[in-house]
Amino acid sequence: MKCFNKVLAALAVTGGMLSGSLAAAEPFKIGICYDLSKAYTFATPQVSQAAMDLAKLINMKGGIGGEPVEVIVRDHGNEPQRGIECYSRLSREGVFVFDTLSTPVSLAVLPRAMEDGNILMQSLVGRGDAVDGTVFDWVYPAGPTYWGQAANNIGYIKQLHDGDLTGVKVAFIYLDYPFGQEPIEILQTLAEKEGFELLLYPVPLPGSDQSGAWSKMRRDNPDHVISWLLGGGHVVASKEMQRNRIPMDKYISVNWLNEVDIANIGAEAATGLKRGTNVVGGPDVPLRLEIISELYDKGQGSGPLANTQDVYYNTGLAMYSIMFEAARKAVELHGLPITAQSYKAGLESLEDFDANGLMAPITITAEDHGGGGKTRIEMWDGESWVPQTDWIAEYTDIVWEVVKESSSKYGQ
Amino acid sequence: MFYRLSGVYHTSYASDSRIFKVPADRNLAVFFLLFGLAAPFIVPSIYLNSYMLPWLIWTAAALGLNLVTGWAGQLHLGYAAVMAVGAYSAVHAARFGVPWEFALIIGGLASSVIGSLFAFAALRVKGLYLALTTLAMQFIMDWVLHHSPTVTGGSHASLQSPTLALLGQPITSDAGFYYVAFGWCVLVTIFMLNLKRTGLGRALVAVREKDYAAAILGVNSFYYKILAFAASSFIAGVSGALLVATFFFLATPEQFSVAVSIQALAMVIVGGLGSIIGSYFGVALILLVPGVINNLVAAIAHTLGAQVNVETLAHIPNAAYGALIVIILLIEPLGLGKLYGNIREYLMVWPFDQFRK
Repeated sequence: MKCFNKVLAALAVTGGMLSGSLAAAEPFKIGICYDLSKAYTFATPQVSQAAMDLAKLINMKGGIGGEPVEVIVRDHGNEPQRGIECYSRLSREGVFVFDTLSTPVSLAVLPRAMEDGNILMQSLVGRGDAVDGTVFDWVYPAGPTYWGQAANNIGYIKQLHDGDLTGVKVAFIYLDYPFGQEPIEILQTLAEKEGFELLLYPVPLPGSDQSGAWSKMRRDNPDHVISWLLGGGHVVASKEMQRNRIPMDKYISVNWLNEVDIANIGAEAATGLKRGTNVVGGPDVPLRLEIISELYDKGQGSGPLANTQDVYYNTGLAMYSIMFEAARKAVELHGLPITAQSYKAGLESLEDFDANGLMAPITITAEDHGGGGKTRIEMWDGESWVPQTDWIAEYTDIVWEVVKESSSKYGQ
Repeated sequence: MFYRLSGVYHTSYASDSRIFKVPADRNLAVFFLLFGLAAPFIVPSIYLNSYMLPWLIWTAAALGLNLVTGWAGQLHLGYAAVMAVGAYSAVHAARFGVPWEFALIIGGLASSVIGSLFAFAALRVKGLYLALTTLAMQFIMDWVLHHSPTVTGGSHASLQSPTLALLGQPITSDAGFYYVAFGWCVLVTIFMLNLKRTGLGRALVAVREKDYAAAILGVNSFYYKILAFAASSFIAGVSGALLVATFFFLATPEQFSVAVSIQALAMVIVGGLGSIIGSYFGVALILLVPGVINNLVAAIAHTLGAQVNVETLAHIPNAAYGALIVIILLIEPLGLGKLYGNIREYLMVWPFDQFRK
């Protein structure tokens, strides 16, 4: 009797699924197991909307290799257990490319993906050492790691100081858990190498109380502030900066800062603020404009138009452009149908792919699953994002040392 | 008709202290035991591994929490932290080369030690104050895990678990993992069923009802509270370790965060304090129903071809799930276990319930 309800529900679900899957042909599917209801909702609606829009656009143009593409979006509420359930269910439905956009879920799914030989995309989340393709065969964190981003930020600061960082004070303010702590090691290594002074300011979760950190920062008076905060954390930081008379142009944010945060800080007040990013900010990227004219102007968008004006929408377009381009390459190389193996080959043949000027060009190889880790610094000028550098990847040898050191421990 | 009884009457002490006083209950239990044993052959693997396995391990864990909260009446808000201690100790022991059988016991004992050590400090206070102290334990554990890379496994805080092997037999198949979980859950259930009819169980209930009244009757309430914490922590530790070894394959701090502690408490409260069958129901509701409703809503939307925003689609199950908990607790504040008990009670002599009066 205790299983009765479950069996009933299971029957209903399988019934629903069967009738759904019988209708369509066999399209190339991407399983999107996202947290659409809990911690990651600051980015997941925009990213998943971008994925659906992109899939629609591709289908309008005839699909990939003549076959339609499909993205299956499911919520896992940031719970590893439900993420695994989503992964197992979709992989039984023939999906072999997955994205979770959640660090805890990505970590939980990783051992299974490695075991089953399914592709786990994990741009911007999950363990950064997975860029090491020699260890993590099936995991593709296409895009920059947090280590690489931090190194690129230091590279930018070095440009500002004409190549000499001696005596420069760099503050690092971060959320005091693995996400924020990750870049510390590489920053310390770089501080030693370049001779700048690194000051650490941990902020307890969820980042709403930062007063202690910033008043200490006022006394220390650093030249630059690198920030590994999320969402509302940036808004709190900006208030504290104003209170402590720290000019906004010292602030260099991690890529997780969007138009909503800018609006909350105040477009005017945010002038001078910088962020490291692997995608072009602002609504004028060619791919988005195409989607607007092809879909949204005809009332076929996958969600509210406002979501598409957010930088996380561009982030989503970038992530899924990579995934669909890899599918296209897979068809070019090995023909239809696309399998996990041929898709892997497709990913690893991407070369200087920038999705029509949308993002930093990436080149994925069998060794480097990150694609080079290029980012650039953009500055908010009060109305739009102004690039401050080219796409750069600095200190790659040091970043790779850290990656190798960490990835070598996997499987032991 | 269903139970074929005119009531429950005992003619001997042995009959009074039987685990299953009603033959139909025993038959039902045997049926589910057999069903559980046969499950790998009849249940599709997706339901076996993504639903039944976590359900069974979490039920074992919830029974442990029920021991301290339902039986001994001590509110515990740091249960996930205790599970974390067990999980990390066992995985580290296994990585060190200790056989898994001992690693699991080491995990359980480590949890037991930490859990009861904390209880020593915490039990100087009662009720809500105790709840807050155990919550503090949870936060301390979160902090420790986030700040000790050697424990949690490097800067990404994910510690891989070695392949589970019991009695020299490496376990890698879905059915194998399931049987491990099933065996542990059955073991804990039998322990809890027996606890009801031992002096220890009665002492715990006495402590729960009024601890100084128990003291007047000669029950050392402090001793029994510590004992309850130690036993429940042991169950938590082994469950945490098994969860990592058979389901997650690696341990991360998020698997044992404060939200998980609250969830565990919700499982016990929705299931019914002090109810064993309730723990099964409670875990199913808290752990599995969100996913089930989510798939159901997705399937319905898909079949109807409705163009629903994914965000809305993700929030409908949450609303339905929240409403479900509220409705259940409105209908029966004592939880799902009591709800089942009511139905059982009603059917006990049905359709001849006039004989009851």
